[in-house]
Amino acid sequence: MGPTQRDALSKIACNRLQKELVEWQVNPPSGFKHKVTDNLQRWVIEVNGAPGTLYAGETYQLQVDFPEHYPMEAPQVIFVPPAPLHPHIYSNGHICLDILYDSWSPAMTVSSICISILSMLSSSPVKQRPADNDRYVKNCKNGRSPKETRWWFHDDKV
Amino acid sequence: MDSEDDMHDANDAESMDDDYYSGDTAVEYSEDDDDGDDDGDYEFDNDSVDSDDVSTSRRQQKNYIALKEADIRQHQENEITTISTVLSISRVDASILLRHYHWSVSNVHEVWFADEDRVRKAVGLLERPVVRFPNAKELTCGICFESFPLDRISSAACGHPFCNLCWRAYMSTSIDGGPGCLMLRCPDPSCGAAIGQDMINLLVSEEDKEKYARYLLRSYIEDNRKTKWCPAPGCEYAVEFVVGSENYDVSCLCSYGFCWNCTEEAHRPVDCGTVAKWIMKNSAESENMNWILANSKPCPKCKRPIEKNQGCMHMTCTPPCKFEFCWLCLGAWSDHGERTGGFYACNRYEAAKQEGAYDETERRREMAKNSLERYTHYYERWATNQSSRQKALADLHQMQTVNLEKLSDKQSQPESQLKFITEAWLQIVECRRVLKWTYAYGYYLPEPEQAKRQFFEYLQGEAEAGLERLHQCAEKDVQAYLGAEPPPTDFNDFRTKLAGLTSVTRNYFENLVRALENGLSDVDSQGASSKTATAKSVAAFGKGKSGRGKSSRAGGPSKNSDDHGFWTCDQCTYFNTRSLPTCEMCHQPRRNA
Ligand SMILES: [Zn+2]
Ligand SMILES: [Zn+2]
Ligand SMILES: [Zn+2]
Ligand SMILES: [Zn+2]
Ligand SMILES: [Zn+2]
Ligand SMILES: [Zn+2]
Ligand SMILES: [Zn+2]
Repeated sequence: MGPTQRDALSKIACNRLQKELVEWQVNPPSGFKHKVTDNLQRWVIEVNGAPGTLYAGETYQLQVDFPEHYPMEAPQVIFVPPAPLHPHIYSNGHICLDILYDSWSPAMTVSSICISILSMLSSSPVKQRPADNDRYVKNCKNGRSPKETRWWFHDDKV
Repeated sequence: MDSEDDMHDANDAESMDDDYYSGDTAVEYSEDDDDGDDDGDYEFDNDSVDSDDVSTSRRQQKNYIALKEADIRQHQENEITTISTVLSISRVDASILLRHYHWSVSNVHEVWFADEDRVRKAVGLLERPVVRFPNAKELTCGICFESFPLDRISSAACGHPFCNLCWRAYMSTSIDGGPGCLMLRCPDPSCGAAIGQDMINLLVSEEDKEKYARYLLRSYIEDNRKTKWCPAPGCEYAVEFVVGSENYDVSCLCSYGFCWNCTEEAHRPVDCGTVAKWIMKNSAESENMNWILANSKPCPKCKRPIEKNQGCMHMTCTPPCKFEFCWLCLGAWSDHGERTGGFYACNRYEAAKQEGAYDETERRREMAKNSLERYTHYYERWATNQSSRQKALADLHQMQTVNLEKLSDKQSQPESQLKFITEAWLQIVECRRVLKWTYAYGYYLPEPEQAKRQFFEYLQGEAEAGLERLHQCAEKDVQAYLGAEPPPTDFNDFRTKLAGLTSVTRNYFENLVRALENGLSDVDSQGASSKTATAKSVAAFGKGKSGRGKSSRAGGPSKNSDDHGFWTCDQCTYFNTRSLPTCEMCHQPRRNA
């Protein structure tokens, strides 16, 4: 799953990521911290649970891997375990969120993804795993990417 | 190449079929169509329709039409024009709208006039931009975040700016992903503005334009409730069906007949559920059944292997044996073919019944053997009729391309006078198909419904016997007129015989089809009105069983007996109800009544 196994970023992807990085440094989404490395193709981002929500005071890590044809293709975004206890987040860190898969648009950015994920966390009324967690995680052995899953998106009322 | 030949032949057969059956269906079709959402502008391939409407009444209105690519395009264009005109919107918008509502003109009308705003929102047809940049000289692309002069920026109706290169990549990624590209929206996550073909064509490569156009055309068939692609391998035609019609059997221009409902091969009068079960059963048993598809069996008399190379089931062993037998049951042909006053029983399955006490294991083994034997009986008949039909199609082709001309030459008759031969072959092809499916039907006919089963087997047996006579006549009798020198002079007798058999066989099959489509309910209704008579006559249907494979056919009721409520026709052996003065099948008047 590491950058060595995937195709290098295209020139378009590099340019776009450079721009996103600059924008992030000027104007980072609140609650997130980009852990600076020299690897443009994998970002590791620290998430702080929003005050006043079930996740207040907790810190998690997101790992964002960019494909060759980013942003035409969505990045792969997962929580580095231990992942937050949430009805749409599996214990292996996979996130059931439509914009990461079918509803991705190249006009979205890492920053807009972060905001969606934080809002998903903040709106959760209960800390629990998805009902099918064990089955799903078992099926993901052998390092299957969440982008290969045919997601049936959970009800967004949760 | 073989397959091309077949295709060609198939087309010939179909156009033949068309000029026999369809008459002026084009008009009828649009009248029939109560959807109200059609332009009614259907065009048939009219060059093959001549004025000869021998048997227009033979088949009811076609409730479907087959579409070539040009027809599909035409239909799609017409519907787009209609919507664009009636709703006063662009053709591109009309196309997006129609695709969204499964190409149903009536549906689009309905939702649009009920709530235009809601529809515009759902489909993404904006009336005015959501963002404007009135004085800008340069704009930033929302994907690559670079700035560009306006001539390198494009937007959908919403106004969200993206550079042409990003558009191109966005569209091409979507087109690569499949027909979902037809639902492409503006990349801005907050925006749902639809992207139409006009914008696609301005921005993508030639190759992508073509792919997109292809998807759009295919969508007219695939997203449409009224149309389906012909399932024949390699066929690119589609069929449009009048939804709500009862008869699902349709025939493509490639001549493949299929069921519009389940897209299996045409299987009237057997229902889709039975067909699906049967096909599953066949694939589950395929290993056990391989031997049936072998084309050779030992002669029941001399045991030498006999190859089946003809369509009818009448086999004659090579000299000196010359034993005539039935391919299916290996019984003597004398029990099958011509009128014997008894019953044709080759179609019936009877488990070998053993007398005496069984122990439990033996009983089980026997039951397992019987169930496979029973299935084998039906499967063999199903599969053999299938291959016999293929053979008949090939023979029809041979007849149309070579032999008719030869005959016309030898008999000094114009080919138009030989139509009865083609008609006979078309009838054989159709009957083999029906007969084949009645074996799937028979397999699933509930065992306890004895009366129905006997009635069914009687009708099936009569139809099958008729078909064997017809097939044999078309296949073998004709040889005398093709080969011999000088040509025999009794060609008119042959004409009378073949045309007569064609008509009688057609009646038998129509009768069989009707009975199956009524769920064999005639047995019930007769049972209700005159119980005793029916019980007797049904018992009579069953008697032929004893004759299976043997010649003890005298067990049947005596000819013309009317004490059972039925009388047997002298000419064709059909069992007619007492009240009929002429034979239901061949119209021969009843004698010694
Ligand atoms: Zn751009
Ligand atoms: Zn937009
Ligand atoms: Zn076809
Ligand atoms: Zn069907
Ligand atoms: Zn023999
Ligand atoms: Zn037989
Ligand atoms: Zn008759």
